[in-house]
Amino acid sequence: MAQYKESFGDTLFRYLTMIVLGLLSLLMLMPFAKVLATSFSGPNPVDAGKVFFWPVQFNLESWFYVLKQAPLWHSFLLTVFATVAGTFLCLLVTALMAYPLAKSEFKLAKIILFMVVMTMIFRYPIIPYFLSLRSYGLYNSIWVLIIPHTISAFNLIIMRTFFRGMPKELEEAAQMEGCGYFGLLFRIVLPSSKAVLATLGIFYAVGIWNQFMTPLMFIEDQALYPLQLKLREYIIYTDMATEGLKVELPYNNTTLQSTTIIFATIPILLVYPFLQKHFVKGALLGSVK
Amino acid sequence: MQNVTKARLQKEGWIKNIRKYKALYLMVFPGVLYFIMFRYIPLGGITIAFQDYMIFKGILNSPFVGFKHFESLFSYAQFWRVLKNTAIIGLYNIVFVFPVPIFLALLFNEIRNLAYKRTLQTIYYVPHFFSWVIISALTVQFLSLSGVVNSVRKWIGLEALLFMQSEAYFRLILILTSIWKEAGWGTIILLAAISSINPEIYEAAMADGASRLRQMFSITLPLLMPTVVVLLLLNIGNVLDLSFDQIYNLLTPMTYPVGDVIDTYVYRVGIIQGQYSATTAIGLFQSLIGLILVVFFNSLARRYQEEGGLW
Repeated sequence: MAQYKESFGDTLFRYLTMIVLGLLSLLMLMPFAKVLATSFSGPNPVDAGKVFFWPVQFNLESWFYVLKQAPLWHSFLLTVFATVAGTFLCLLVTALMAYPLAKSEFKLAKIILFMVVMTMIFRYPIIPYFLSLRSYGLYNSIWVLIIPHTISAFNLIIMRTFFRGMPKELEEAAQMEGCGYFGLLFRIVLPSSKAVLATLGIFYAVGIWNQFMTPLMFIEDQALYPLQLKLREYIIYTDMATEGLKVELPYNNTTLQSTTIIFATIPILLVYPFLQKHFVKGALLGSVK
Repeated sequence: MQNVTKARLQKEGWIKNIRKYKALYLMVFPGVLYFIMFRYIPLGGITIAFQDYMIFKGILNSPFVGFKHFESLFSYAQFWRVLKNTAIIGLYNIVFVFPVPIFLALLFNEIRNLAYKRTLQTIYYVPHFFSWVIISALTVQFLSLSGVVNSVRKWIGLEALLFMQSEAYFRLILILTSIWKEAGWGTIILLAAISSINPEIYEAAMADGASRLRQMFSITLPLLMPTVVVLLLLNIGNVLDLSFDQIYNLLTPMTYPVGDVIDTYVYRVGIIQGQYSATTAIGLFQSLIGLILVVFFNSLARRYQEEGGLW
């Protein structure tokens, strides 16, 4: 391969793109930095607009206050449960459905696939959806966080495509030894589909963790609020602790809200390195369908 | 007579198939049940758009009223307002939000320093994983009276503004937050398309003395275009599918005139106020327009490039 010397113009251009992208990334981080700094600051400088990206009157009082909120932890644990159980259920049902659809000997495959694709084209109106699910008893039920998301047509098709692309020899050998379809799926196919399971698992998990509209429609009981609804409640109904108090407190609404926001981002940031390993592959899987 | 035997044979074929592959039928059952219960039964529920639905009478016993709700829709100012807002915001998404990942991907492609590139990409991808509740809370804080933007405004002698309550800024805020959350994520697929370009083309260009900028515009961009066009067509097909989470979390009653869209309106008037039939009519109207757009633009994408469509 021939080497070409970089011209002055090219070097300039390269550094320019690096600077532009770097500045844009700082711009993207600014709102995070502001909120992070606010969560460690005293109330007076915050109200006076003196806190930018570095805490002023550094203290941990807002964090102590927020971390002592039992309802917040309650919502947090509820969301963890829904995400873990939901992701497991989603992957199981999706795999169970995708496997027969990838088999040519399965006569219903074409009809079912058509039925699935139709749901991608025609979006059901929200009110009949709401009324149907309510009639199933999902209103104010913790299961509404999980069950309505069981299968995404998109993920199903990705998994089916992946199963179809697997070499037949693997299964044939096991089939000779009298292994049934369930055995094939759970002992042969799924163990060699770890990458696609991880990717789709991330899609399902992030979807369940971040879901907002479904709980907003279906959950009235505050004891069943998932994290996102609890978060919105804390952020919208601003008077968390300071209403009517004339005493000087080491925190105020803004610092408490900021702390709550950061609190909610931490779990995502903690699993992010794991996500990053898989999501790039995943985003591409979707594009080649 | 012959038809009967043929049908019978086929029927036996089915029975035999079910017997032989019982396990496959069993496996597919939970999934099919899910699609019936959560996709097809709700679809059947659109009949209430043609009824005066009463909750205690249910779908079966509520009186049919034909197209009454559709007729009253079109004579209703609120409907035109949310339809107009939905269309405008959808259009803004295509004109202002859609091109940003292309621009970013072209720039990312120029960076050679891998550590720097990875760090930047990490920052650009992260917001995709945060919920709209978090993103809009960050936005609200950033634009509040004691927020960064207003502090800067005061500092240079301008008056502080209530951005979130102002009609003039609402759509701009939607555009910027959409870019902030999803533009980085959108580059992944484009960067993959760029990396599949044959490196010999670049080498030939370099041998001819083409600058990097020239290569970007004469090689990378044209070869990226097929991917971009397909993505654009698919995007236009879904132009009415706005993010409820985003708009609901950023909307205030003061910004309803410019930001209230079909989804937020249906939620408020349908689910909260219980006007089920009228809002189902709106939803059905939206779904039908969406259907036409998706089918049309998907077939365009397929015509443009084989395998280009969603299905």
